[in-house]
Order: sequence, then structure tokens, then C-alpha cells
Amino acid sequence: MPAETIAQSLKKSGVSRRDFLKLSGALAVAMGLTKIPPDLAGGVPIKVGRGYSINQTIAKALETKTRLPVIWLEFQDCAGCSEAITRSNSPTLGNLVLNTLTIEYHETLSAAAGFQVEQAKQDAMQKYAGQYILVVEGSIPVADEGIYCTIGGRTAVDILMEAAAGAAAIIATGNCSSFGGLPKADPNPTDAKGVWELITDKPIVNIPGCPAIPEATTGTIAHFAIFGTLPELDGLHRPKTFYGVTVHDRCLRRPFYDAGKFALSFDDEGAKKGYCLYKLGCKGPTTYNACASIRWDTGLSFPVQSGHPCLGCSEPDFWDGGGFYQGQSAPLDRPELAAVGAAAAAGAAIGIGAALINQGKKKAKGGEK
Amino acid sequence: MNWNSVLEFARGPFFYAALLIFVAGMIYRLVSVIGLGWSKDHVPAKGSKTGGVVISFLKGILIWPFIPWVKNTFSRNPLIYIGGGLFHLGLFVVIFLGAAHMLAWKSLLGFGWATLPLPIVDWLAAVGIVGMLILLINRIINPVLKLISGPAEYLAWLFVFLPMITGYALTHHLGPRYEVMYSFHMISVDVLLIWIPLSRISHFIFYFFSRAIHGQEFGKRGVKA
Amino acid sequence: MTATEQALNTFVHETGGWVASQLEACTRCGMCAEACHFYQATGNPEYAPVWKVELLRLAYEQRFTIVGGIKSALGLNRRITDQDLQHWSDLNYHACTVCNKCSMVCPMGIDLGSLLHGVRAGMAAAGMVPADLMAAVNKQVEEGSPLGMTAEVWDQRMEWVADEWEVEIPRDVKNADTLVVFSSIEVMKFPTNIAAIAKILNKAGEKWTISSQAREIVNFGFYEGSEEHTKLFLTRILEGAKELGVKRIVVTECGHAYDALRWHAANWLPEANNFEIIHITGVLGELVGGGRIRLKPGFFDGKETITFHDACKIQRKGGHIQEPRDILKILAPESFKEMTPNREDAICCGGGGGVIAVKAADPIRYAAFGLKIDQVNKVGAKMITMTCSNCRLQFTDSVDHFKLDWKITGLAQMVADALVE
Repeated sequence: MPAETIAQSLKKSGVSRRDFLKLSGALAVAMGLTKIPPDLAGGVPIKVGRGYSINQTIAKALETKTRLPVIWLEFQDCAGCSEAITRSNSPTLGNLVLNTLTIEYHETLSAAAGFQVEQAKQDAMQKYAGQYILVVEGSIPVADEGIYCTIGGRTAVDILMEAAAGAAAIIATGNCSSFGGLPKADPNPTDAKGVWELITDKPIVNIPGCPAIPEATTGTIAHFAIFGTLPELDGLHRPKTFYGVTVHDRCLRRPFYDAGKFALSFDDEGAKKGYCLYKLGCKGPTTYNACASIRWDTGLSFPVQSGHPCLGCSEPDFWDGGGFYQGQSAPLDRPELAAVGAAAAAGAAIGIGAALINQGKKKAKGGEK
Repeated sequence: MNWNSVLEFARGPFFYAALLIFVAGMIYRLVSVIGLGWSKDHVPAKGSKTGGVVISFLKGILIWPFIPWVKNTFSRNPLIYIGGGLFHLGLFVVIFLGAAHMLAWKSLLGFGWATLPLPIVDWLAAVGIVGMLILLINRIINPVLKLISGPAEYLAWLFVFLPMITGYALTHHLGPRYEVMYSFHMISVDVLLIWIPLSRISHFIFYFFSRAIHGQEFGKRGVKA
Repeated sequence: MTATEQALNTFVHETGGWVASQLEACTRCGMCAEACHFYQATGNPEYAPVWKVELLRLAYEQRFTIVGGIKSALGLNRRITDQDLQHWSDLNYHACTVCNKCSMVCPMGIDLGSLLHGVRAGMAAAGMVPADLMAAVNKQVEEGSPLGMTAEVWDQRMEWVADEWEVEIPRDVKNADTLVVFSSIEVMKFPTNIAAIAKILNKAGEKWTISSQAREIVNFGFYEGSEEHTKLFLTRILEGAKELGVKRIVVTECGHAYDALRWHAANWLPEANNFEIIHITGVLGELVGGGRIRLKPGFFDGKETITFHDACKIQRKGGHIQEPRDILKILAPESFKEMTPNREDAICCGGGGGVIAVKAADPIRYAAFGLKIDQVNKVGAKMITMTCSNCRLQFTDSVDHFKLDWKITGLAQMVADALVE
């Protein structure tokens, strides 16, 4: 089956040439490409003439490349990221990526179940060894030898390691598989970990978010499908295309922030007027994600637009980063009155001690005089 | 290194500890000074001491010292007036009327207040930073300041300057990423909090003593403080 | 014990919360230097008031604070040596008149004058007072006056003044209302002042007297900074007053003496509060304001421009700011011009605080007077009046030195000249 090129597969499903070229352009936009990635020459076995535009390059790639096998693993997750992908209302990307990929294994989406599907996975891993993309959703518990998440009697760690061994690249989708997410929240009973904490010898892309923005996941997969390489990543292994700027930077409420107009509660005049939600605890300024530009449901809206402060769900440990509705500049712990009192008492005690000693010094010197 | 965890440390336990050290340190300073004893003044006053204190504070807190012609000293060393004035103005506005700082106060005190629009706060922050630079330059070039400045003075300057410059970079997304700058900002604030009781930055407490004494002494003698 | 230890121990002894809180308030902004006439005149940064109190601050930091403890544990403390002491002695006795202008510009309002006086106390305890100043102090201890005004000399001079100017000077009158104590500067150098004051008081019908026991108002112990000597000299005055049973003591035109007796005596000698202590300027204000003497309006008008020099201890630290101006507005409504800065912000003459008694300080004393020359020239005054003999001494001496054509006079003398007979 994968012998068929992506273009051929699309044509079969009724996509016209004109639509195909439009798709190529849309794809380039989705991947945030304005020029051909620098590592293209080495990484992609396609011949591109000088002066080809990026759209033409992508169209060319789609015409020549075969479909990409994908294995999708789920561990400590809520399947929310999968949900998001399937709800992706962007037919261009959804169809293009999902229809043109061969998803060999996906617990939630696969029609097969039980031993059958496990067998299918084993077969795929052998058949496409070294070629397939491994997508991971959900965190991996390592406490107590990983017993807190088992599938078919095998631990998540075990399954992950096995699947990772033959993967060309690993894409961790969602905050859980990227940074541990909700399962890792304090006190982290299962010692949940992100993929990159366990695997260091494979190219790994993190697409954090709760859930991950589907276009970010599909765009990254498409990038690999088309160019054979991973997009440029930041320090947290996130594609710079989607995680290069903060939610705050692109926020539609940003002018209100700059003007110092804030909503002070969820139902006040400011909230009705669409003022900035910073004082309601918005984490936009420290949250790197594309919510404000790509948005959700075909660009319909995103949390801040709909009136809720950003929770910072694409950042590590966002669950433990202070109250969701507490201003971001506020200190994380407010010292209790007792602690302040104790500190004051300690200071006073030392102060009185010092004063007594100094009074003694004064008297002694006075006596000598 | 994950800067978000650095930030969490700087906003969390480090800040917590720094705040308690600050409280303990300042109380210690106050108590140890007051505990040195105050002798009673038996001299009959000519004018009103209370009146003198009131004038002294009005003069000190309001703009009196900054009106150039009042003291005839403005022309001698204008930099120190301008730098010092701008710095304190910027500092107070930013610390108390900046939205972000108000939220920090709110989380500590339990109540908040109205804040100024960001562009105004922003300009005043820049003014404060410029004021600090002027003060530093003045400290380096003025012969008196050169003489009386040691490592303590320059360190105090640095520890006040760092939170200001990192805070400014932070709001403008200059330099490294937001959380990195934010970490720098919080760490420098924590260091400052610990440094205040050990240094002359604590003058904001003793100011009230010296101003009151000044007012008393001059009020007692029937002289306009 | 070394001199340094003596000095530091005195600093430690003198440092209460009052001093400590002010030392703590200092931000070392250096603004006080801008107020100091010695710094302004010479540009020597060591004359900055904050630097003059450096030893006091170091003693406080090293002996009283945790930071000082940490520093000494790390070996970072500056060790104060006898050389340091000598150096700071020079700074304080040569280049400081304790005029307290610095406290007027201090943004923290630190009462630097008092701290500077505290430094002198340490120097005095360490025996680090300039030799000529110390000789004057000793002379006052032994002979009753630093200017060699022994009882006999005083006696002769007073007789002579009474004869020469034909004024009655009541002496040792029991139960008089007012005891007037002149300074030896007036007795020896400005006798006209004595005659003038006598004339005014007699004219006003004041029941006043001078005392052969309380002869000398000048207090060189206060210049020196020695509590012991200051108290000794104050006691002489208070005992003389007690003996005669007077109600109030009038300090004549001497600033330091007024500061010591009016604003400090009661804290050492509670009996000081048995008397009302007032400066002659205050008395003049009372007499003129109350109509007990009448002055010829415009008596000094139409000649040279007159200006008034504010003395640090009488105006800024004494509060007699308005009286001289009220009087001058009667005497010379046209010719009287104010210098700037004036009143409580006035620039010091440069000779107070014992500086004029220290020969080695002469060059900077004259340099500081340069500021005064500028000020006076700016208003174009040729006649300068004041209420302090020490300032007057500095003015007359400097006028000689700079060969100026100014007329230097005292306010009392002007009032006496313009009395309506």
C-alpha cells in the first residue's frame, strides 16, 4: 500500500489537481514555512529545481513521496489529544494527514481490538522498522516498576521502549507525553514522565498543550512526511513554528493589557467589554503556544477569546504553577501570618539581644571613662 | 535547564524565604536601634516640635527638596537631585501602581487597588532606570561620592538596579525568553529582599526617624525645618 | 588605652538610638557636601560632612551592628588608627563650624550638626584637639576666659567702657530681673557692643546687671566637644545667676555660647531650667516690638546698602530669624537688602565652631569667606551687620585680610545708635 504516493492517494479520494495545489499551499502555511527548510537538500530525496516556490516544492514532494506509517501509543492520558485531532475541522490538514498517513496502530481509532490489534502493531513495527513515526499520547509512569499503566499485561515503559526502538522519530502530543501533564501534578504518585525524559537516542518533538493544538501535531507529522526531517525546535523540543511566540504576544486582548484595562472578575463590566484577563490569572505572557493565532475549530476561538484566562497548558508543570486564577506575577506561596510573625519575633529577639549587649558595651565604656 | 522550574523556585520557596528574612532583618534593625536607648530632652522648646515634624515630613515627602531655587544647592549638584528624584518616582509608581506588582501585593496582603495603564508605568520605569544610571554616573564622577562610596554602595546600587532592568526587559520581551527573564527578575528581587536589611537600602525605615528628628530639632528652636 | 580607643569608646558611649537611627538613615548620597562652605570653597571632598562623621559611623558599625560583626569576622573591617584620628581631628576642627547647614539639604533630614558635635566629643576624649584650641580651653579653665580676660582685666575693661561711653553698667545687683553675660570677644575686641547693649537696656528701663562671677559667656569647652569642660563653664554662669537671684540670663552676641546654654545646658544641668535663657537678639525684638524702646525710622537709609549676615547658632540653630529683620526694616527700609540664600539656609561665616581659634585653619577659613564675599558683592552691600561676635571677628579679620572696604557692625550697636532719646 505505501507504494502509492500521497498525490495518488489524494487523487483516488477525489481531490482535483487544483485542490491539490491549494492543499500544498495550505500545508506550507500550516507548517509556517516561508522558505524551503535548510536541511531539505540532505534529508529529502526529491529533486527541486532552482526558483521553485515553497508551494511547488511541497506539491512536488507530495507527488513523489509515499505515505508515512504511524504508530500511535496512548498511556496515562484522556485521549483528548486524539479527540482533538479527529475533531480537527480543517479538512485540508485532517484529510491530508490522516488520510494520507497509514495509521497502523491507534488504540482509540483502530477498528480491531485485543490480541488482533496488538499483532497488527507488531507486524507494522517489523515491516516499517526504522521508517515509522511514533506518536505518543499520555505520560509514562515509572514508579513501582511501571505497574500503574499496563496494556495487555505489559507496562507502558516496556511498550514505549519497544516501539521507540524502530521509530524514525517520536512525536509526543499533549502535555502529558511531553512534560508529564496532569498525571505528574504534585504529588505525582505514579512518578509520571514525559517521553523525552526516558528516551534520549531518538529525535523527539514535543507538541504540548492540553490538548495539543491538532494543527500543530498534524503540521509536524506532515513536515516529516514531506521533507523527511523534523521542524526547527526550541529548548523544550517544541517546533518553533507553533511555539515561537507567547499567547500574550498574539492575543486579541493585548491592546487592553497595554492600555491597562483589565477585567477584575468574570462578570464585571471589563469582562463584558473584552478587557485583558491578566488580573484573573492569565498565563499568556509565559505560555508559548499558537492558540492565539491558529485557534481552535477552524480558527473559531480560543480560551482567552471566549473569556477564560490562559492556563499555560503548553508549559511544563502548569498544574503546579500557582493558582489558575491567581495573577501570574504573584508569588507562589503566601507566607502565613504565623510564619511572618515568627520571623518578626526572631528579628525582634535578635534585635533585643543586640540592644542589650550594646547597652552593656555602652555602660562598660562609660564606666572606663 | 528548565527555566520554568527555576522560575517556580524563585517565585516559590526562594521568595518565601527571602520575604521572611527581610521581615526578620528589618525588625532586628529597628529593635536594635531603638533598643540603644533614647535620652529625654529637658530643654524647654521655643517653637512647636510637632509642627516642626509635620513641616519636615511635608518638605521631605513632597517635592520641597526638588524645587531648585528653594535650597540654592540645585546648581551645585543637580545630578543627585534629578537622578534621585526620578529614580524614587519611577520606583514607587512601578512598585505600587504597576498591574503586575499590584497583583503580587494583592496575593500577599489580600487586597488590591487600581493600577495605571501600562504605557505610563512603562515610561516611569524607564525614567527610574535612567535615574539610577544618572546616580551611578554621579557616584563615579563626583569627587565626594567617589570618596564615600565603597563596595557596599555599589552593591546596593546593583541589587536595586537588577530587578528594575530585568523587570523592564521582561515587560518588553527583550533578551532571553520571558520565563528566563522572569526568573532573573524574581531571583534579583529575592536577593534584594535579603540584601535590604544588611545594607543602606533600609533607609526607607530610618528615613522616618531622621526626618522626625530633623523636624523636632528645628521645630524646638522655632526655625522652619 | 590608645587615643583611638578613647575616642571609639566615647563614640560608643554617646551613641544612643537618636544617633544610631540617623547614622542608619544615611544613604551616602553626598548631598551634604553641597551645603558645606568649606567643601564649596576648596573642592576638597574630605570636607563633606558625611565624611567628617565617618569615624563615628565606623565605630557604630563595628561595635554595634551584625554587619560590622560579619565584616570583622571576614577581616574586612577598616582598622581605625591614631593617624586616622589625627586626620579626622583636622577635618573636624579646621574645616567645620558645626553650622548645621548640611542638615538643611540632607534629603533624609539627618541632624548632622549634632553628629559632628559627637565626633568632637570623641576627639576631645582622645586628646586630639588642635593645640591652639586646647590652649584656649585650658586658659578658660584656669583664668575664666580664653582671651585672657581675668577677673582684673574684666573689671578694668568694664570700668573703662562705662567711662568711655558714659553708660551705666549695673554690676552684681541682687535680684535684678536680667543677668547679661558678655563674651570676652566683646569685652576685649568690640567694647562698643557692651556700651550699646547697656545703653539699650538702660533706655528700656530693664532691671539688669552683670556678674563678676559669671563674667564669660564664651564656652570653649563646647567648641572642644568636651562635656566636662562645657559643663564647667556653664556651671560658672548658672552659679553666678543663682547667686544674684535673677530670672533670666541674656546671652550677648555669641553664637556657640547661646547654643550651649540655651539648647544643651538643661540636659546636663537641670538647674538651667530655673532661668529663662534668651539671646540679646530676642531681647531687642521684644523691646522694639513691645515699644519699650523707639528707633528712628530710616536712620541708616540713604548711605551704603546694608545686609544682614545670619549666624548659624543664633538664626538657623537659635530661631532668632525674624527679629533682626523687623528691626532692620525700621532702621533702613530702603538700604537693607537680603543676601541669598538667607535665614535658615544662610551660608556660614566660616569662622565659628572654634575654627577661628585654630591657626592652621586660616587658609581654608579665608577660602570659605570667599563665598560670603560673593554673596555680599551680589547685593552690593558695604555695611554688614550681624548678631554674633564670632562671626564679626571672622568678618573683621577677613576684611583686613582681603582688604575690603566694608563696614562691619553688630545689630545691637545699630539699635543703640538709632535710639530715640
